[in-house]
Amino acid sequence: MDDLTRRRLLKGGGATLGAAAFARALAPITEWTDDLSVDGFLQKHYKELSRDEIAAVCKRLEAETLQDYGAVVQIGDVRPQPGVEFAYALNLSVCIGCRRCSEACHVENNHDRATNNSYIRVLRIDKGTVDLAFSDTTYEGAVPRADSYYMPVQCHQCDNAPCVTVCPVEATWKEADGIVVVDYDWCIGCRYCEAACPYHARRFNWTKPEIPAEEINPDQAYLSNRIRPQGVMEKCTFCLQRTRKGKLPACLEACPTGARVFGNLLDPDSEIRWVLENKRVFVLKEDLGTQPRFFYFFDE
Amino acid sequence: MTSHATTYLAFLRRAVSISTDGGWRFYTWMTALTAVMLVGVNAYAQQLGGGMGVTGMSDHVSWGLYIANFAFAVGLAAGAVMMVIPAYLYRDHEMHDVVIVGEILAVAAIAMSLAFVTVDLGRPDRLWHMVPFIGRFHWPVSMLTWDVVVLTGYLLLNLHITGYLLYTRYRGERPDKRWYVPFVLLSIVWAVSIHTVTAFLFSGLGGRPFWNSALLAPRFLVSAFVSGPAFIVLALEACRRYLDVRIPEGPTWTLVNILRVTVLINLFLVLSEVFTEFYSGGSHVASAQYLFFGLHGANALVPWIWFAVVANVVAAGLLLAADKSRMHLVIIACVLTFVGVWVEKGMGLVIPGFVPSTLHELVEYVPNELEWRVMAGIWAMGMIIFTLGLKVAAEVFTGRAVYRTEPGAPVPTAPETV
Amino acid sequence: MASDRLPVLLLAALLGCGGGFSDPSREFAEPVPEGSHDVVIHQPDVLGVLDTDRVDVHGAPVGVGCDTCHGPALAATPQGNPEEMHSDVDVVHGDLVCASCHDDDRTRLRRASGKTLEMDQAMELCAQCHGPQKRDYDHGSHGGMNGYWDLRQGPRSRNHCLDCHGAHAPQYQGGVAVHPPRDRFLRPRHDADHDDPKPAPADASETGAHDG
Repeated sequence: MDDLTRRRLLKGGGATLGAAAFARALAPITEWTDDLSVDGFLQKHYKELSRDEIAAVCKRLEAETLQDYGAVVQIGDVRPQPGVEFAYALNLSVCIGCRRCSEACHVENNHDRATNNSYIRVLRIDKGTVDLAFSDTTYEGAVPRADSYYMPVQCHQCDNAPCVTVCPVEATWKEADGIVVVDYDWCIGCRYCEAACPYHARRFNWTKPEIPAEEINPDQAYLSNRIRPQGVMEKCTFCLQRTRKGKLPACLEACPTGARVFGNLLDPDSEIRWVLENKRVFVLKEDLGTQPRFFYFFDE
Repeated sequence: MTSHATTYLAFLRRAVSISTDGGWRFYTWMTALTAVMLVGVNAYAQQLGGGMGVTGMSDHVSWGLYIANFAFAVGLAAGAVMMVIPAYLYRDHEMHDVVIVGEILAVAAIAMSLAFVTVDLGRPDRLWHMVPFIGRFHWPVSMLTWDVVVLTGYLLLNLHITGYLLYTRYRGERPDKRWYVPFVLLSIVWAVSIHTVTAFLFSGLGGRPFWNSALLAPRFLVSAFVSGPAFIVLALEACRRYLDVRIPEGPTWTLVNILRVTVLINLFLVLSEVFTEFYSGGSHVASAQYLFFGLHGANALVPWIWFAVVANVVAAGLLLAADKSRMHLVIIACVLTFVGVWVEKGMGLVIPGFVPSTLHELVEYVPNELEWRVMAGIWAMGMIIFTLGLKVAAEVFTGRAVYRTEPGAPVPTAPETV
Repeated sequence: MASDRLPVLLLAALLGCGGGFSDPSREFAEPVPEGSHDVVIHQPDVLGVLDTDRVDVHGAPVGVGCDTCHGPALAATPQGNPEEMHSDVDVVHGDLVCASCHDDDRTRLRRASGKTLEMDQAMELCAQCHGPQKRDYDHGSHGGMNGYWDLRQGPRSRNHCLDCHGAHAPQYQGGVAVHPPRDRFLRPRHDADHDDPKPAPADASETGAHDG
């Protein structure tokens, strides 16, 4: 056998081995591709879907939830009420840092159980400062401590939201009632919004969420608390699956002291308007110009 | 002359055969790179299957090794322009002969940076969402869309330039200046733009005070003009030893002279950043504090950044001390400064932006073994592209690879140096 | 020339601005029909009842109604030492004494003006001195609520003052925090100045320990 043929044989053998090795190397990908579908791949942006299309998408997602999680859920396309602009206020004199709001969010919004995820983080801050360098989130035990005050932080649904600005595919946007939402089926998972948010409000689905069927909250909305797929961003939506139907958000209902105030800014008789007009409210990191819809105040 | 349909196909076939043929060192090198690439592919498949949670990233440090390498690779691609400027603007003829090395580096580095961004995506199956008109491209508002535009444009520019030059040489023709000089001049501006846009990605975020500095774009550019030339000096040296081409000495020393300046400017910019952060103090110092001195007992990055600073200082000294009889000092300096910039720009810039978090929580990040494997795989891919590009260029530019209408037909006279 | 720029501008507009919904009928929900629902304030069981330490066969706490001793069946001033009779009432309420809130007819309350109040009007008595808190409560910024923010669509229920504040020792007791987040790599802050105190004993919290 002359050199040229042997060389060709070796190359051919090498190429075949390489191709086989490549196929073998790729094998773990099936764990992910099993969750993908052609319909999901081709699905358009939320704003480009007609009523029938979004209804069909929700039906497909309900079927996928049944298959993946064994739970029957209702996913609605819950739209904003006209004449409503939401805002939220939090009374720092009354909050005791019990984290019931964080827990309620975890349950209401179908978060991954293993990570105990929640959209709300409660900061314990030393009295006498507003510098978050003197805060921590891992406190335990009896609350409130005499030397501290407590500040729950969640998405502020900013009017000038950095996360909306930076998204390369417009997967996140501000809706007519002020809520900044994410289309989980459009997000590409680049996490630029997570880097941009000054309030640590955005969360990423680092794995496929795991929730036992009996713990799943079945009243779901497409843009909020339906079970999110792996690899996409999510955030607090002021419980739009509840609030757009006139109900209070889960965090507010869970608060034992009544530190949270929520309502419609456009209603002059609303509780939130009264707080904004009569209490000395402030916002976090005001100098960044994000114009949040989430206000903090002290009673004294 | 024969039609392009014929010659282009022949050119591609010849390129493939050059890429798959060589000495034992070539085969060893390419097999090793392919093996590393396969390791990376497997790690990436594991990441897709298990979710990005299999990496060391978290909601607190949500960008890590991949984006660090992305920033560095874009800088490497921009640094190629440090050959183009002397060659075309200063009419350095010796540099002109080897400028294609820089352009091939640009192609390989852009390919690497696009790969790093892709492996960092949670949903790479949705890349089509970024295509204008078909998806929703949030341009001109989102800096990431600018990055997509400029990186793609730079890749196409350099593919065109290298492809055109190699193809015309292959056909035995003289390249038409109108078909590449304007593109080359455009690539000078474009190289600055790719790294400026990448810097703006970070510096435009008001919520991250460590990045929100006017100095970030200059720092990115200057460190690009360190890493690019350093790599090219090493590549030229490798070409001299392993490729059958004659590489003149002049371009290497032009690049060394450039490096002598840019390494010092880079160090100065780091000094400026350090002074501005620490002199007035306050809470915004926390990230710089974490990086250089550790914060509340968390000090994972401290040895890295000091290594980077020392490496660059030593490299600066070696470069100033080196001369033609002490080429080995140049080699050491280039390796030191290349690694130093990789650490300083990658881990020393991307990670501290997240530590502490926007709510001042302290979560550290250490890339885990899977991330290192993916990174190695992408670097291997980049080196494969670079190696093959250089090998084809060497064969074509020396006239060994040239189109013949039939075997044994006379070879057209080699064109003058363009 | 402007016409040369137009395609670029259009392109930028198309690519840049998101635009609204392609199906405008999807932008808003149907308007809410006018309606009005109630705000219901919970009436706590403690009103007019003195807690004893005893429980009945079902485990429910046994209370003694004020009118058991102070009612018309007995004399207006019952026999016996008041402190002994009310030994489990701890008054930690500023400088107040029994007569500050309780009328001579001990089944009723009395305001500073002399106006008597029934037991179920106790909130008006609290508001007499704690005006700012009552004002905040009335405007939804104290005491919480369950139900609907939009009373056109549903009712709302509110706590009574006494649901959280004991009448005799009103300071809010606090509770035990739900477990902290279990984020990856999040290290708890444990510097010497801020050591977390030991968890309070279980009966100190009326809300009860809750696992996260």
